[in-house]
Amino acid sequence: MSLTKDQIRRAHVALNRFGLGAKPGAISKIGKNAKGAVIAEMSKRSIARIAQGSLPSYHEACQKVDTEFDIENDLKEQELTARIKKHMSVNIGFVERLVLFFSNHFSMSVNKGGSIRATIGQLERDVIRKHVLGKFEDMLIGVMKHPAMITYLDNTESIGANSVRGIQWGAGHNQNLAREALELHTLGVSGGYTELDVDNFAKVLTGWSYVRGWESEEGYNGGNSSNRGKFIFRADWHEPGSQRLLGKTFSQTGIKQGVAVLKHLAAHRSTAQFLAFKLVRHFITDKPTPALVKPVAKAFRTSGGNLKTVAKALLDLDKAWTMPLRKLRTPYELQVAEFRAVKRTYPEDDRWNFVATLDALRHRPWERPAPDGYSDESVYWMGPDAMRIRLETAQMNARELERLELDDDSAPVLANKLFSKALSKVSKAAIAAPADFDDGLTMIFMVPEFQRR
Amino acid sequence: MSDHDHGLQAIDPRIIGAANEGCAESRLLMSRRAMLGVSAALFSSAFLPNFASGATNPDARFLVVVLRGGMDGIGMVVPTTDPDYVAARQELAIAPELTLTLNTDFGLHPALAGVHSMYQAGDAAFVPAVGLPLRNRSHFECQDNLENGLPGNTVNQTGWLNRLLGSLPAGDPIRMARGLEIGEAPLILSGPEPVLGWSPTWFNKGTPENIARLEAVYTQMDSQLWNSLSNGLAADALALAEGAGQDNVSVLRKGFIGAARLLRAATGPRIAVLSVGGWDTHSDQADSDPLVGQMADRMTDLDQAIGDLKTELGAAWENTVAICVTEFGRTVETNGSRGTDHGIATASILVGGAVQPGQIGDWPTLAPAALLEDALYPATDFRAVFKSILNQHMGVPSDVLESIVFPGSAGIVLPAKLISGPKRAERLVSSFKRPLTPQEVAPIARYRKQYGIDS
Repeated sequence: MSLTKDQIRRAHVALNRFGLGAKPGAISKIGKNAKGAVIAEMSKRSIARIAQGSLPSYHEACQKVDTEFDIENDLKEQELTARIKKHMSVNIGFVERLVLFFSNHFSMSVNKGGSIRATIGQLERDVIRKHVLGKFEDMLIGVMKHPAMITYLDNTESIGANSVRGIQWGAGHNQNLAREALELHTLGVSGGYTELDVDNFAKVLTGWSYVRGWESEEGYNGGNSSNRGKFIFRADWHEPGSQRLLGKTFSQTGIKQGVAVLKHLAAHRSTAQFLAFKLVRHFITDKPTPALVKPVAKAFRTSGGNLKTVAKALLDLDKAWTMPLRKLRTPYELQVAEFRAVKRTYPEDDRWNFVATLDALRHRPWERPAPDGYSDESVYWMGPDAMRIRLETAQMNARELERLELDDDSAPVLANKLFSKALSKVSKAAIAAPADFDDGLTMIFMVPEFQRR
Repeated sequence: MSDHDHGLQAIDPRIIGAANEGCAESRLLMSRRAMLGVSAALFSSAFLPNFASGATNPDARFLVVVLRGGMDGIGMVVPTTDPDYVAARQELAIAPELTLTLNTDFGLHPALAGVHSMYQAGDAAFVPAVGLPLRNRSHFECQDNLENGLPGNTVNQTGWLNRLLGSLPAGDPIRMARGLEIGEAPLILSGPEPVLGWSPTWFNKGTPENIARLEAVYTQMDSQLWNSLSNGLAADALALAEGAGQDNVSVLRKGFIGAARLLRAATGPRIAVLSVGGWDTHSDQADSDPLVGQMADRMTDLDQAIGDLKTELGAAWENTVAICVTEFGRTVETNGSRGTDHGIATASILVGGAVQPGQIGDWPTLAPAALLEDALYPATDFRAVFKSILNQHMGVPSDVLESIVFPGSAGIVLPAKLISGPKRAERLVSSFKRPLTPQEVAPIARYRKQYGIDS
């Protein structure tokens, strides 16, 4: 099948703006209708899911919470391996990019605690992936009712001052989860909430906790051997009474009150706008305009927050297929694109180079130190130091990956399989210039057509 | 396109003006310009700054250490004689005899032994109750406020150190040498003025052949990438030329070492920013032994890093001021999770050979009536401390400080002398003293404001 130059360009856009970067031959696999190919891949059964196999269930992951660092970390590593394997398996990878986007939207760092380290991968598989083409409301509630987020934003010991235990222990509530849920996960800064809304929402969330290891072992606070590490609602920690929030009174009792607030937030106009803005910024341009954001926000509102509809609205933006690819791949995306380009990853038991690359470029998976998530703006990743390290690690990766017995006979041949005619003459010449394959591969990794998306 | 000398020209004030009126294109231009300018040639002898003709003190070094997460000031500079301290802090209270004495009223966290030695040697000062104009306790908004240097809850995409660099005359040595960011790109150095970034790596360096090939590709197709890469290569060469790597120290310490090596170089940067996270101690802040726990671990690392700074700066230490700042302090009372929540005022420490030792600013006390809700009152404004350093240490004139660097800060001054030795000579800077119009900095807030979209 021979493609026109414009069809090749659109396939290149599909692979880079919306996907994880080309595997050899990906462009011809996409064919004449790039958008149709993205939608077709998104519509495949279970496209977002990772088969559980030997990976832990919610119960199994939670059983490891608050055990030992090595046990918890081993789970995290298994999950990362499964994630990368999934990245490698798809032809385009738009759904994978959406998973990464939403995982980062609900950013957490495993360094905050063992309950996050042991369960974050399970959360990504069973909550983010499960709902990434479903309802945002379900994803939001799933994340908030997960021990990882409860730990990360300090809700574990948030106790209503007027609850049974609050009175008994003189305890109080913690605002962190409520504040960040409003500021980062739903309405966004200037999304129309007040300090009082934050505080009242925090009271709504009192009692949302998880069973710590010692509570499970000693039988304290509702803990037992089977609910170790799991989310728990502690009714006697919950601030009694109705709460007023965003001009609305929530008079539900117990955990239903928090669920009602989260549903209200998920359906809020500001949430639709914030998510649409973030999606446009992540996939298309650092400077979103209403012409790009509004159709996506509208799709969010009219579909009741159906994320598959929202994703399609993003693909339906004509400009998404015509604007130049000016965003820079994040370091993680770059590393995955390098893997895909050579159809090889580092072996699971020797991932040192991979970790070192992301460490140096400050983009370790699940380790963003602040809850705002890794930046979606290219300028953040384009610092002089980062570009210098991109070159150093591209050289290292080219050399190390080449050792894994690549079957392509030369860099120009590989480049042709990756870019077809979507490669400039200048880049082509730079890839062809070096005598050694690893230097040619370094050039493939570093040319603008590979760095930009 | 070639951008080799953009960085050495004054930035057209029309660009800044247009950007501040919300023009999307010019903002794009500004963020692009941030990547342009400094060529590798900056570090060659042809571009050696002419120190004799500079407007500001060319020997002065200024390092800002941003402790992210809201560092517990009361835990760092302990008010040992405040009658309300122990009752409020309960299990997190540090016994006065365990602290390192600063004066009759304050003691330093016991993990800061190195800083304490510097204090005793006359090379450190502390501000016990310092805060921002913005007091809303949001990490993100308060970090922005700390770094944009604007009054109240107004935000701007430029940082005050970047505006300072941009306000200096084109040939000024401090401006020519650039600001340096170690690690993550902070807002404080963001803006139109190009900056350097550096962090230590152990990978093989880019080969000359590969760099030459990339120069050919990038200069023809993507000058933004080339300017970024070439700047990075130049900074790395300078840092490495100064000494061997130290592999067995923490990332924070490596950052301080690298910063010091670049700062001490004759043609290196004079202003540097380094940030370190992990101070958001909502739970398990400390054990009953104050030397055990999150706070102690961070303090120990910081203390060693500051020691490295002094060692590596060598003779330049005498001309250095380094200040540790954070977006807010923490609640006076503990929260029941052996932690503290977001508060208002915090403490700050200053180290360096140029620091006038002692206490800066008053102590508002922890008496319930003296608190702001449940938090320490900021008796000193961070901007007053920064202005004193820039004025007394770097020689930046007050009118530039109050119109460009910290607009709206007239009258916010520090009475005390903050720098040991004679005050630096200052010269009037006549170029573009436009007050900057505040802008929203949270991208979604900026978008909503720019397009007048009701939320």
